[in-house]
Amino acid sequence: MSITIEDVKKLAKLSRLEFTEAETAEFVAELEATLAQVDAINKVDVSNVDLLEKTINADTELRADEIKQSLTAAEIVANAPDAQDGAFLVPVTVAEE
Amino acid sequence: MSWNTVIGLEVHSELNTRTKCFCGCKNEFGNKPNTNCCPVCTAMPGALPVLNRDAVERAILMGLAVGCRINNYSVFERKNYFYPDLCKAYQISQLEYPLCVGGGLEIELEDGTKKFIRLNRIHLEEDAGKLIHSARGTMIDYNRGGVPLIEIVSEPDMSSAEEAVAYLEKLRSTLLYVGVSDCKMQEGSIRFDVNISVNRDGEPLGTRTELKNLNSFRAVLRAIKYESNRQIEELEAGHPIIQETRRWDDEKGKTYSMRTKEDSQDYRYFPDPDLIPLEVTNEYIESIRAKLPKLAPQRVTEYIAMGLTEQDALLITQERAYADFFENVLSYFNEPKFVCNWITAEVFKKLNALEVDDRKITVQPKDLAEMLRLYKDGEINQAGARKIFDVLWDGGTEPSKLVESLGLKQMNDTGALTEVLQKIVADNPKAVAELKAGNEKTMAFFVGQAMRATQGKANPKLVGEIVKELIK
Amino acid sequence: MKYLDYSLTEIIDLLNSGQVTSQELVRECFDRIKETQDLNALNSTYFDEAMKRAGEIDAARARGENVGALGGVPVVLKDNINYLGTRTTCASKFLENFVSPYTATCASKLHDAGAVIIAKANMDEFAMGSSNENSAFGAVRNPVDTSRVPGGSSGGSACTVAARQCFASLGTDTGGSIREPASFCGVVGIKPTYGRVSRYGVVAFASSLDQVGPLTRTVKDNALMLNVIAGADDMDMTASKVAVPDYLADIDKGVKGLKIGVAKQFFSDKLSGDVRTALEQAIEWYKEAGAEIVTVDLPSLDTALAVYYVISSAEAASNLARFDGVKYGVRAENYADVVDLYFKSRTQGFGKEVKRRIMLGNYVLSSGYYDAFYRKAKRVQKVIRNEFSEALKMCDCLISPTTATTAFKLGEKSGDHVAMYLTDIFTVPVNIASVPAISLPCGKDGQGLPIGMQLIGKHFDEATLYRVANAFETAHKEDK
Repeated sequence: MSITIEDVKKLAKLSRLEFTEAETAEFVAELEATLAQVDAINKVDVSNVDLLEKTINADTELRADEIKQSLTAAEIVANAPDAQDGAFLVPVTVAEE
Repeated sequence: MSWNTVIGLEVHSELNTRTKCFCGCKNEFGNKPNTNCCPVCTAMPGALPVLNRDAVERAILMGLAVGCRINNYSVFERKNYFYPDLCKAYQISQLEYPLCVGGGLEIELEDGTKKFIRLNRIHLEEDAGKLIHSARGTMIDYNRGGVPLIEIVSEPDMSSAEEAVAYLEKLRSTLLYVGVSDCKMQEGSIRFDVNISVNRDGEPLGTRTELKNLNSFRAVLRAIKYESNRQIEELEAGHPIIQETRRWDDEKGKTYSMRTKEDSQDYRYFPDPDLIPLEVTNEYIESIRAKLPKLAPQRVTEYIAMGLTEQDALLITQERAYADFFENVLSYFNEPKFVCNWITAEVFKKLNALEVDDRKITVQPKDLAEMLRLYKDGEINQAGARKIFDVLWDGGTEPSKLVESLGLKQMNDTGALTEVLQKIVADNPKAVAELKAGNEKTMAFFVGQAMRATQGKANPKLVGEIVKELIK
Repeated sequence: MKYLDYSLTEIIDLLNSGQVTSQELVRECFDRIKETQDLNALNSTYFDEAMKRAGEIDAARARGENVGALGGVPVVLKDNINYLGTRTTCASKFLENFVSPYTATCASKLHDAGAVIIAKANMDEFAMGSSNENSAFGAVRNPVDTSRVPGGSSGGSACTVAARQCFASLGTDTGGSIREPASFCGVVGIKPTYGRVSRYGVVAFASSLDQVGPLTRTVKDNALMLNVIAGADDMDMTASKVAVPDYLADIDKGVKGLKIGVAKQFFSDKLSGDVRTALEQAIEWYKEAGAEIVTVDLPSLDTALAVYYVISSAEAASNLARFDGVKYGVRAENYADVVDLYFKSRTQGFGKEVKRRIMLGNYVLSSGYYDAFYRKAKRVQKVIRNEFSEALKMCDCLISPTTATTAFKLGEKSGDHVAMYLTDIFTVPVNIASVPAISLPCGKDGQGLPIGMQLIGKHFDEATLYRVANAFETAHKEDK
């Protein structure tokens, strides 16, 4: 599997991580090495494998719709780098995702 | 060659469960920021989702109401993207194995013809938080984060803005009938995204755009009209349509490009390992089906059997709240046609003056029944009934007492009325002549005069009889 | 140092008979922690709170009240387990100052059983690593030989127990993170069946593979700890409702008549001479003790590591996306807008190994690669799972080395992440197959470093693992 600088840059963007040019180049080699290892999954015959699995019955395992005590707004934002009136605060956001 | 417009809709509707989709926090609108929050719905490290049974049941209930096939096996997946209103940086949703597939709704077009709009799927997912803009920046409130939503995805079966709105009205009505959502557009508990493309007759489908930020039926109507015209103009000018998401600006009445497909997100969907696949047995589905309330078509049939016209039956069943009200009134005063007439005329007149979200019947069924009985028995006339209805609508009760306090008891005294009418007949020879000549409409003039002379209390039927007698 | 050499089960007897108080134990633990602080095993300690709680338990015991199965025993949690009001850092700069707003189910079960939580143990950042060199707060040292690594990612949890700073600890294991450090430090560690212990409140690395488990100095201690923390949880849909047996009930029954499986794939040429010899001797011992040794086949075993890297990295990339600098953790100081805030906070907050896994995870999930990697890996996982099920039908448990080598030197593999990943080849398949496995000491190599053996059981059959492990441990007590 060959990885390009562009691939790494795209992944970095998806990951919300920044890398220097040197780190990016390093990642190309690292990812290639890891993917070479990962290639082992192609040795196994999976043609008969069905990923759907029987699991649980919704009737018995799900949560009853009962209200539980919430935390206070102060507790919710206690670890926040910035907060205002019980709300988390970030710089103004522009476009909607 | 003429242009076709092809429209598909994605409707997000919040389910009215008591608690959120994956935690026990209250599902409630209008509270102070982050007061309905816990480690789970604020993505504290280590917190895990636990699926709400009622959310699953409501989604299935809606699926059954619109004829979906309910999948025995469905999977929750993570839709990964970064945005401040999405605290985990992924939304728990369904992609490959949704809960409900297929089904559809029949809509009625302006010309009375019917059209079936197919559904692609209904899946269960969670809502995001809310961003509030303040002087210092954007404030994030996760009260709405984790509230259960169903996304109802139609096939691209609509070909005009009017059809799209008819579909939305029908869908909203069905959601209300099934009772799984409050459908309040102003609170955002029901939201719409529109996919739209245009093509010429006989040509393949065009490139579509997706419209967002449509907060009312009116916005949907205007946005579709604007966007299809925009696309046609672009194509006629030789410009290709770019697949993109566009934002509707309601004030400006235009759509604006938000992002194109090139920079569209790679959501990296994969099954959420915190939530085991949801398996629902056929027995479980049937036990939910048993809870399905009577829907509009069944009620229409019943109402016609009661003696209502099809048109009236359709009118009164357009919303569950109206049909329920009708049935409640009947439980006190079993005169279907009489009750229906009042509701479709007087009640609807009140409701239509309100915004869609605010259309709530504020009269107690028992009070309306009592008032209608007084009216039917001739204790009050129509004018009196209307006056009482106004008071009842604004919170008044006990119509019999209102008859007294408002002095609306109908004048049924033949002698007194004859006295009043003798004077009116004497003063209006021209009208008398017209009536004699066979112009029945002139009778309305005499009734009006009689009402004026009796402060609206005269029994109009009696007035007619006496006038006829007097001019013989 | 009067009491710290006692095992957990022994110290409970001493507490119950009034020969020692919980406060005395807490004091001794803290003296020991101070003496051995160069090991860097702990990220935070709670002396005042622990003394207060120990005092309460001592008083309750004096009044004759039931103080629980672990009443008054000092224990340590790995620093990825939330405990209300304490810092939970995951050994990451990103969470350096994060104070838990709630308590993990496993921690509250310990608390409810009377345990006194005295500290949080160092670890590889977000549990990603096999040497405990990936901690933002410095590497942990192996108490047997401080020039060597303690293993990871629960290196601090293994170290603190081996160094007698406490009587038991909790770790987490995604691909060997309890068993590998247990093996390197010469203690007992179990990775229970996936779903045996609630994950609620445990900061996720790879949700479908993560399990919490105890690290202790003896097998019985371990069984006692699992008795306390195992079981269903309303807050974790993946926690199983299968009934929890008393793991101590049959622990002394010996191995006579049990079948122990040996798969040739576990005895590859990668195995060092001393480890191979120790394992062969252990197998020989079991035979003599009356167990039947059967040969089983796990043909796809060597693909487990590849499966692991795809699945664990994919889940990690998504699990760690919530660390964005908005709700908690560090926020970078200078940023242009909210998008820049994400980039800068995450870039500054995460260490190299974490970034490596996030990048790999996003690669295997991204559009165009999902089927070739993630979906393929999930399919191979099922094949491996079936092979384990088949193998375990032929025996009561499997035996294997825990690691191919004994503890390596600090820095020895830190430059080569592929070599580091290979450390986990015997432990990873167990997580892929969701089965339980215990690591316990089985001798020492030529340099006096502990060797670990791994016993792998059937789903939810930890009891057999404890029984088989206890038989060996009891017979080899004198060797220690």
